Amino acid sequence: MAGNRPKLAAITTVYRKYSHTQQVIDRYLEGYGWDGAHHHPEMDLIALYVDQVGRDDLSRDRAARFPAMKIYPTIAEALTCGTGKLAVDGVVVVGEHGDYPKTPKGQVQYPRYRFFEQIVAVFRASGRSVPMFNDKHLSWNWEWARKMYDTSKELGFAYMAGSSLPVTWRIPSVEFPTGARVREALCICYGGVDSYDFHGLETIQCMVERRPGGETGVKWLQAYRGDKFWDACRDNVWPRELMNAALCRSHTLTPARAGFNDIFPSLDEMRGLAKDPVAYRYEHSDGVKCTMMLMGGLVRDFNFAASLEGEAKPFSTQMYLPMPDGRTTLANFFNPLCNNMEKMFLSGKATYPVERTLLTTGLTAAGVDSLYAGQVRVDTPHLAIRYRAPAGSTFWRT
Amino acid sequence: MNMARNLTRRAFLETAAALPALAQGQAQPKRIAIVATIFRLQSHAQHIGDRFIVGYPFAGEWHKPNTRVVSLYVDQKPANDLSGDRAREFGFKVYPTIAEAVCCGGSKLAVDAVLIIGEHGDYPRNEKGQILYPRYEFFEQVAKVFEAEGRAVPVYNDKNLSYSFEKAKAMRDTARRLNFPMLAGSSLPVTWRLPELELPLECQIDDALMVGTGESDAMDFHALEAMQCMLERRKGGERGVKSVQLIEGDAVWQAGEQGRWSKELLRSALSRSDNLKGLSVTDGRTQDMVGTGVLPQLVKNPWAYFIEYRDGLKATLLMLTDAVGDFNFAVKLQGKTEIQATQFFLSPDPNVTYSACLASKIERMIETGVAPYPVERTLLVSGILDSCLDSRVKGHARVDTPHLAVAYQAPRESQYCRS
Repeated sequence: MAGNRPKLAAITTVYRKYSHTQQVIDRYLEGYGWDGAHHHPEMDLIALYVDQVGRDDLSRDRAARFPAMKIYPTIAEALTCGTGKLAVDGVVVVGEHGDYPKTPKGQVQYPRYRFFEQIVAVFRASGRSVPMFNDKHLSWNWEWARKMYDTSKELGFAYMAGSSLPVTWRIPSVEFPTGARVREALCICYGGVDSYDFHGLETIQCMVERRPGGETGVKWLQAYRGDKFWDACRDNVWPRELMNAALCRSHTLTPARAGFNDIFPSLDEMRGLAKDPVAYRYEHSDGVKCTMMLMGGLVRDFNFAASLEGEAKPFSTQMYLPMPDGRTTLANFFNPLCNNMEKMFLSGKATYPVERTLLTTGLTAAGVDSLYAGQVRVDTPHLAIRYRAPAGSTFWRT
Repeated sequence: MNMARNLTRRAFLETAAALPALAQGQAQPKRIAIVATIFRLQSHAQHIGDRFIVGYPFAGEWHKPNTRVVSLYVDQKPANDLSGDRAREFGFKVYPTIAEAVCCGGSKLAVDAVLIIGEHGDYPRNEKGQILYPRYEFFEQVAKVFEAEGRAVPVYNDKNLSYSFEKAKAMRDTARRLNFPMLAGSSLPVTWRLPELELPLECQIDDALMVGTGESDAMDFHALEAMQCMLERRKGGERGVKSVQLIEGDAVWQAGEQGRWSKELLRSALSRSDNLKGLSVTDGRTQDMVGTGVLPQLVKNPWAYFIEYRDGLKATLLMLTDAVGDFNFAVKLQGKTEIQATQFFLSPDPNVTYSACLASKIERMIETGVAPYPVERTLLVSGILDSCLDSRVKGHARVDTPHLAVAYQAPRESQYCRS
């Protein structure tokens, strides 16, 4: 059997405690909890590239404890294992965290595109491509992201990307109802721009993509921040009913009043808690409207709500992240993410379409653009991305 | 709390009015008395009591039960007591005695339900380490009013009925004699499970193990009741416990080596944990703690609770506080090759939304007059814990438990939260 085990290379920015690299690569090395067992992936991670090695680096410790994994000084050497030709059966790219400059718009310039270009250079030179996973959005730069996607199609390799949010536990454990016609969808979450906004967008997208007709792309987006956010709340630019439903799924609703542990806030009280709220409101080509809301200070989780035709009450759930910020010690939402990657590396087929992440990458960049331009509506003809959701559910239920 | 403000009752009602309206033609709200040891922030009386005062999140809505808290008794009022503030804001009274609370200051029973929440507060421990919360004494005073009145109303008792099985049994017997519905216990049996695992009714169980965290005799009760709500579904129903034993220290690992508890079940249970300690805290790594053999070095004072049921089933609770920070259960069913495991999800402070799952069960009993699951579960677990702690003070000897022949049938319908 050992001869059939895929060999993987990991191309990463930084390997320190709680970096995405540590979360993903450790799960390949140490195993992780899956289906009620401590699961070891049926594949071998044999090559690692780390772009930045700081004093808190763990890659050297890991390489010493797992000698089958060698650290290489360049991406090309990691992929070829020093042989001059592609020597692995799959590539894991984790370009999150690390010390990288910001764009004038505030985007961290994680080098996912640079990593990708160097990887596909090896693919081209070797006349062979292998499946690739890209953690989080494809790139902060839309044009680059589009090129990454187009290149994956041109070379014909299985390509998967994105966040843990689409694949983690849901509380309650529900899938978006088959055939449901969605009118509006919304996510209330937390975190910053060009960061957790992407997770909120993936939370919404993995649900609404299941609507009849499939995904048709997005026509426009407008961001709201600060006073404009609260004005929009007051003017019901997005449905208050969905905000309430999403907030009632939260397990981390900051009590607005002293002496209470769990109390529903008024809009004024929300305003006192969420100091720098941001919303991205956008419309799909078929008219479905969505709103992604960052409300740090009010919540610390990811809550989804949608109004469905023919349903009196909103459909809602929480995409649950066991977050090691004092709540847990293990970021086990990486378990289902790694498990989906593994399925791709074993089968050569992505378990969900990379077009989802192409679209959410574009939405993230559009949100940043709208904020930078003064919270104006930006048309997004480049986001006319059509795809079909996977037939089966891919979130964590076992 | 930067938004600490004194919201008036009127302002609160306006806020509530923005939420889903009460159904038209709804019945009169049920009147509730809360009988508590203490009412401070994050005490059980506060976080469960408030569910019936300000509502709670349930099934994607802020649910306002059709109830009205009309009276409160608190046994202790420390400096951080909130009972007076609540009473003023929400228009009820804090009464100096339990009888006055359930009679709202009059001479006759004046409420439709009583919540006895005797957790937290400053109470002594006995030689077995049990905190002497006066739940039995509270209950007796409530029942005395019922008896005098010739009429009784539903009672919820938070957590175990009493530290003492004799007192616990007297409580259950009184509820039977006076014929009122009684619900009791922990939130763990009703909280969400990761993943959703329910054992089929009438299943045959080969072996079961729970791993938990925290101190006795608070957290071990939760762990034992979570395990019991799974095991009670086995073939033949619950028929009670024959013997128990509590061991600690190195003897726990030796018992594992001797096969007295299953390492494979522990390994499976730990695979459900999001809160492993040791190296996971140091550098974030995942761990197979059973596989690496790290547990004996990591856990300074492990406790193992062995329960032998009258029908022959054996089950184990391991309290491994230095290794794990959550509650995970593993079971091997007869005829199945794989072990099944789940985490009983305790959502974080301060919301502790798992207590909203419990509140919905209490509310259902108050509405329907029927407890959604039998109080005998909590009676049996109260007795298991009491006898385990006897075992500990008797030199960790096995203790026969003929008094724990508590028989009952599990509810047919699953009671844990899936909405």
